[in-house]
Amino acid sequence: MPGRDANLFFDVPGATLRFSSSDLEQWAEHLAWCYGVLGLRGGCTLAVQDFGNSPLSFLGSAMLMPGLERGVAEHLGGRFICLDASAERVTLTPALLTQVSVDALVVRADVMGLLDAELAKKARGREPMRMPQMIVALGLDDPPPRGDSRNLRYLLNEPAKMLMAPRCPSCSAFHLRGGFYDLDGAVIRNLRYRCEPFEVPGAEILRPGFCGSQDSGLRFSAGEGDSKSP
Amino acid sequence: MSLSVSAYGDIDNIEHWPDEALRSWQAERLTEVVEWARDRVPFYRTLWSQAGLGDIACDSIEDVRQFPIINKQSLIDAGSEWVAGSLARVGFSTRGTSGEPLVVWLSAEEEDVYIVPTIRGFRWAGFEKGQTALLMSPVWHRLAACESHAVVRMGGRCAFFWGSLGLQFAGEFLSTLRTARPDFLTTTAPFILALVKYGEENGLPLPDLFRSVRAIVAVGLPLTPRTREYIRDRLGVSDVFERGGTQEGAAIDECRFHEFGHVHEDVCYLEILDSSGRPVAHGERGRLVVTKLTPTGSIFVRYDTGDIAAFAAEPCRCGCTFRRLKIFGRPESSVEVSGRMITAYDVRLCVENDPALVGRNVLLIRPEKRSSGTLSIAIEGVEHDTVATRSRLCEQFGVGDARVVWLGSIRVAWGFRQVIDGREVGLGS
Repeated sequence: MPGRDANLFFDVPGATLRFSSSDLEQWAEHLAWCYGVLGLRGGCTLAVQDFGNSPLSFLGSAMLMPGLERGVAEHLGGRFICLDASAERVTLTPALLTQVSVDALVVRADVMGLLDAELAKKARGREPMRMPQMIVALGLDDPPPRGDSRNLRYLLNEPAKMLMAPRCPSCSAFHLRGGFYDLDGAVIRNLRYRCEPFEVPGAEILRPGFCGSQDSGLRFSAGEGDSKSP
Repeated sequence: MSLSVSAYGDIDNIEHWPDEALRSWQAERLTEVVEWARDRVPFYRTLWSQAGLGDIACDSIEDVRQFPIINKQSLIDAGSEWVAGSLARVGFSTRGTSGEPLVVWLSAEEEDVYIVPTIRGFRWAGFEKGQTALLMSPVWHRLAACESHAVVRMGGRCAFFWGSLGLQFAGEFLSTLRTARPDFLTTTAPFILALVKYGEENGLPLPDLFRSVRAIVAVGLPLTPRTREYIRDRLGVSDVFERGGTQEGAAIDECRFHEFGHVHEDVCYLEILDSSGRPVAHGERGRLVVTKLTPTGSIFVRYDTGDIAAFAAEPCRCGCTFRRLKIFGRPESSVEVSGRMITAYDVRLCVENDPALVGRNVLLIRPEKRSSGTLSIAIEGVEHDTVATRSRLCEQFGVGDARVVWLGSIRVAWGFRQVIDGREVGLGS
């Protein structure tokens, strides 16, 4: 059972995550699956602008957590760039994008505005900068994603529930992967990490079988292309 | 050529080797790094060929001095010509305090090598099996990424607080401190100093909160002896250790004597050079130049970090034969007055001679003119004995005049930035 013999403790908003080293394997594999749904392919370079104890960061590579044999980078056969989400570090990101060709940049929703502004400043400069695919990591308290002309993807990341769910580019719903999450009415259960069942207010619950998968799903009212305010 | 990090498998007790044996072992590693770089990294191949070093080996420690010194801008300009061949999985960013940041790559083999000195440093700082360590985020720095591996290999537990190393996360840090009850703590010196101030301003019982903590390991700012005492006394912890290191591969930890940090000479070869590129005598200050001894990840051969440092003149009483070194600052944490480079560290050392000023943030104010003979500084908090402070500054630094701006109620967060523009505190035009 997750948490038994725990030697790794991550305080996240609303909870303390407890893992033994071996518990992390399945979550790194799951996160790599999420990125696959979002369109990332083997050999990619992924940069994550999040705090170090967000699963999106600490599952990034076996090199970041003891006992983790394969992190996301190892599953994807790619590279992982650590970008802390402090304001000081966000301002450095555009300069880094002129040095390294990044396929996808994962950004916490609450620093997206700052990063956008910094990217716009850099884009006015002379140095070439290849814009990566942007993946916005949303928490349950963040507003539902709205349509945007940029190359945006969305990943639901609620660390306290170990909820990581990608928004499918085909059906625009967030996929709750079968075998990891289960639905009991409108209540979501995490099958791989012991935490209280939870609901996602304002989301339409989709039963397994939608989008031709074994996953269940969540759809918010203000989806991609929807011009309504969230 | 195969990756030669296997040489690290058989070096037990290397920190007690006699100097001759250690230099000979380092020369072997340097040879491997040079061969690797020449073979795999176009940037070095071209650079060394242009310098007439196309096939020169590096058979002894002295031979390394033939190779040209490089800096960050040359690596940024080289782009993929430098990154090629790194075989690395994870990238970290430098802090960008001296301009553009640089992405530095770490491979799994190299990390494995660097975990060994991390364990050594933690052992010196008193970490033991069964203890809990509250650690910096593993994405903060390549040395931080090694920390959780070191703790688990030593039989300990790791705890991480939510957020980053800024004062806005003080509440999250203290919350984790309460619940995890760590024995051991790694953090940055600016963060822990800011936390002391935050705790005092908010009437928090800091010694109670830190009761479980036996040792703090701090990075990111050179600690003066009085600042160390201040942290220790305010938080009620037994000991505070300074850890140093750069993304380019330098790794330094203090032993219990705290005089200078020991260079982990199994992973890096450090030189301290004068402005002409000649080694300075032990005890004298110069520029820190790093060569990483692992032929993997981003390769650094004679990289000028910009840091101002000095080797200790005497061997350490602890018995470790690794050379000892102190990093005092960088050009961007220093000002030039009357033709003399003055570091923020030196100014803090001088200001703290008055016990009432220990623990206050001290910032250097950039002179408006290069020819200025006035040393200007800003000190946090209310005015306290301006005449004596100015007099000490003039006497210690040999400057014609010294000006002290008392920041009063202006809040200044301890940070890595230690030099400000006068206009930021109402001076000048």
